[in-house]
Amino acid sequence: MLNTLAQAFSLICTWEVIVSMLAASVYGLVIGSLPGLSATMATALLVPVTFYLSPIAAIATIVAASSMAIFSGDIPGALLRIPGTPASAAYADEAYAMTRKGEAELALGAGVWFSAVGGIAGTLSLMILAPPLAEIALSFSTFEYFWLALLGLMCATLVARSSPVKAIAGMFIGLLVSCIGIENPGGIPRFTFGITDLFGGIEPIPALVGVFAVAQVMRAMLTPEPPPIPRRKFGSIMAGQWRLTRKYHWQMTRGNIIGIIIGVLPGAGADMAAWVSYAMSKRFSKEPEKFGTGHVEGLVEAGASNNASIASGWVPSLLFGIPGDTIAAIAIGVLYMKGLNPGPTLFTEKASSMYAIYLMFIIANIIMIPFGIVMIRLASYVLRAPRASVMPVIMLCCAVGSFAIGNNMFGVVTVATFGVIGYVMEENGYPVAAMVLGIVMGTMIEQSFVTSLIKSDGSVLPFFERPIAAILAAMAIGALIWPVLVWLWRKLKREPIPATSPR
Amino acid sequence: MRLPDRVTGLFLVGLGAAAAYGGWRLPPVPGQPVGPNVFPLVIGTGLALCGLAIAFGIGRSFEEEEHLIPVEGGQPPPPTGKFYGLRALLPPALLLFYVAVADRLGFIITAALIVFVTSTALGARWKLSLPLAALAPIAIHLIFSKLLRVPLPAGLLPMPW
Repeated sequence: MLNTLAQAFSLICTWEVIVSMLAASVYGLVIGSLPGLSATMATALLVPVTFYLSPIAAIATIVAASSMAIFSGDIPGALLRIPGTPASAAYADEAYAMTRKGEAELALGAGVWFSAVGGIAGTLSLMILAPPLAEIALSFSTFEYFWLALLGLMCATLVARSSPVKAIAGMFIGLLVSCIGIENPGGIPRFTFGITDLFGGIEPIPALVGVFAVAQVMRAMLTPEPPPIPRRKFGSIMAGQWRLTRKYHWQMTRGNIIGIIIGVLPGAGADMAAWVSYAMSKRFSKEPEKFGTGHVEGLVEAGASNNASIASGWVPSLLFGIPGDTIAAIAIGVLYMKGLNPGPTLFTEKASSMYAIYLMFIIANIIMIPFGIVMIRLASYVLRAPRASVMPVIMLCCAVGSFAIGNNMFGVVTVATFGVIGYVMEENGYPVAAMVLGIVMGTMIEQSFVTSLIKSDGSVLPFFERPIAAILAAMAIGALIWPVLVWLWRKLKREPIPATSPR
Repeated sequence: MRLPDRVTGLFLVGLGAAAAYGGWRLPPVPGQPVGPNVFPLVIGTGLALCGLAIAFGIGRSFEEEEHLIPVEGGQPPPPTGKFYGLRALLPPALLLFYVAVADRLGFIITAALIVFVTSTALGARWKLSLPLAALAPIAIHLIFSKLLRVPLPAGLLPMPW
């Protein structure tokens, strides 16, 4: 183990890795702090760049950019009441209330400090959880993989903050997109409509860039510009953080644990972790009446939670190729591209690369503290960049980046198409994250489903015969039926009072 | 672009039915019970069922109201003309424009046009949008073409590097 650790160190101690990690950190901090540009979008736009880096450097950029962006979304949340990323939306009100009370330093400092702590806790969970799970996963057959992938998709729909039916519909749309192309059990062109460019299928990365970046520029066309940030001088940012850590250590730990659990669940990411943790914090707080008036307790718990979920989101990604959230979905694409195909064998054959990933997570979360402090001090300058100068550059990056993925103009068409699809879906309450996961996991689900069907000679019974498969099947089916039951229950409960809401 | 649930739901029913039908018509693999036709059939059916549920408002009670944070001291609401909503289609249209003309005009000119139009549409004055349109394409070209060696089309205005 020490030997692998030393190897991992030598893997990341190269100029390429260090420089790309630092550059990606700055990039993540800036993009995350700009309202409307999410961490997922920051990561998606990075992918074309990672093409030209070595595998470890490529992963380093993604790790660094995503961790930084999640923290830096807190900055405009605290200063402007506009969350920089959806993951900060849960507590933007609270942080802004603190700023108005004159405690901006404490709010932002808590953002940096507890984000870093959460990130490291998430990394530890990745280090502890992944290897034993890999042992179990080695014995998985296609039946287990099928149920696991289905369970992942169902989780993604369960936690969506909209109607589960729409989330399931979004998932089906994604799966349908993954049907396009000739990469199917028969090897025949499917849904290609005679267009040669569609033979290779829809690449997940351009689709992601379209859904997260182009759709955002489209929304910006219709929304008013956020107000410029008032200039202010900051006092010491880290002062008082240690006191907070001791006072709220239980809240912090709970935030970390919730974040880790939500990160591991496929499909649920940092934004979900922050919402759940903030709600938990309010629920179990000794002074819940202070919430909403600029109370730091919820910030501690939710900040610790959303960064923890980033690292633990890599657990299912590395083990099964099932993304823990949309950022991990991008990471999986990069892993495949770099020959680090996700799977349990990754932990035995490429152990040093895995250790390198852990180390990079830890390093990223440590350098987050100094970088974050600098970023907070510079925030009033960065946030002054008008949207009219940022969005055009994003557009160029979309065009060039999607072209670079296959050196093919069809990538740009894909980005534009998915921009429209993502925009329309989001406007009508269909969660795009479910669709994205459908696209990423479609091929895997179909392969494991069809292979299992062939193995079982068309019978459904073997899908439930192996013990782990049966457990996973029960969970997946439960996740499917659960919303129906809750809906029926609510319906029945509401029935006796017919005079209420016409909905 | 906000459509009633009934419209989107029925659209999904149509899409699902079309996918199921298209999948069903695919030729099976000889000698195997399941082939490329099974998966689209399952997905299409599922999608159509979801569409029906959405169209008839089943499970709608779940939807949480949107958590919009009002901006304090923000601008007045944007003018809403008849064609205002169509502005949203500008970014994808510009991307298709890039696909159509980049090979002929070259990256720099096409990119400059895209930047100029986007930033003007977002309300920038020419003092900002013109320099941006001149500099941003060159910077992007430097990063992607020089550092990352993406073969961007040279067209009418090749860069000296």
